[in-house]
Amino acid sequence: MSGFGGVLPWARRTIVEQEKWLTSEEFSAMLGICQIVPGPNIVNLAVCVGSRFAGVSGALAAVLGLTLGPVALVILLGILYEHYSYMPIVQGMLRGISAVGVGLIASTGFKMMRSELNYPPMLAVILFTVLAASYFQLGLGWVVLLASPLAFFLARKKANR
Amino acid sequence: MISTLASLFLKLSAFSLVAFGGINALLPALYDLSVNQEHWINTQTFADYFAIAQAAPGPNLMTVTLIGWNVGGILGAAIATFAIAWPSSIMIFFLQRTILNMRDKKKQQVIQYAAGALAVGLVLAAAWGIAVQINHSTAAHLLTIGTIAITFFTRWHPLYLIVIGGVLGVLGFI
Repeated sequence: MSGFGGVLPWARRTIVEQEKWLTSEEFSAMLGICQIVPGPNIVNLAVCVGSRFAGVSGALAAVLGLTLGPVALVILLGILYEHYSYMPIVQGMLRGISAVGVGLIASTGFKMMRSELNYPPMLAVILFTVLAASYFQLGLGWVVLLASPLAFFLARKKANR
Repeated sequence: MISTLASLFLKLSAFSLVAFGGINALLPALYDLSVNQEHWINTQTFADYFAIAQAAPGPNLMTVTLIGWNVGGILGAAIATFAIAWPSSIMIFFLQRTILNMRDKKKQQVIQYAAGALAVGLVLAAAWGIAVQINHSTAAHLLTIGTIAITFFTRWHPLYLIVIGGVLGVLGFI
């Protein structure tokens, strides 16, 4: 519930520093995989950490523990929104927040891109994906399908350097 | 109602398995589904739900929860949240041990490099696609660009930026 602006930093502090469930390296390796496989990152991470300790029930407990509170809160906010969204102040506030929110997503993308810069050919995959999705407006499934061969080809070369 | 909830469940479940890079990467597809195809909500509501989900504590999949809530109340919210998470959760449950314990470290690297590059591309494309849909003024685009610049040069907590965005909006700048 204390995951303002994303749950990740808080998750790392609890799991690695306070409870010492995982070492920093184990956590990073896990996170690395959970951030790139499909699906909500933080749910993936909850499944990984939870199942590590208590199998299926651990994974379920972790995911429910992580989502139930925020889901209840966000529904409450949704109800408030229904009542007050006519107010110009609320509309203005949400416009401001959403503009910042888009910026935060873009910077997540740029931060993730830093690790690609040590093998520049990989930028071709990123360019291809962005063009296919934005310029040619292909659906997500098609973009993934079309970009995967190039991604794996270059990934193999990068690993064999 | 039942058919709407079924369609919500099926489509979001399908998204779950192609969303390399997480919910952020999924946002334009979510916009296309809920606004253009199914007409569950309009552009304004989508943008506002996105803002609420960004400002609220918790995982960023709350945009999905809110759309589900709009479509079918509490049940809709539960179905949407479950649908977006279950296929990928089952997949990662089985995949994580396989990948983390892989003897062939090179193979593990290839998978990580390839999925990583796809994720970066999809997240950047998503940011672009969503910016085009929900930023309706030059000021809004400038605020987005400013946010990117600030995260590049400082270590401010995202919450401060969200508060600044909200205040600028209340004051009527955006």
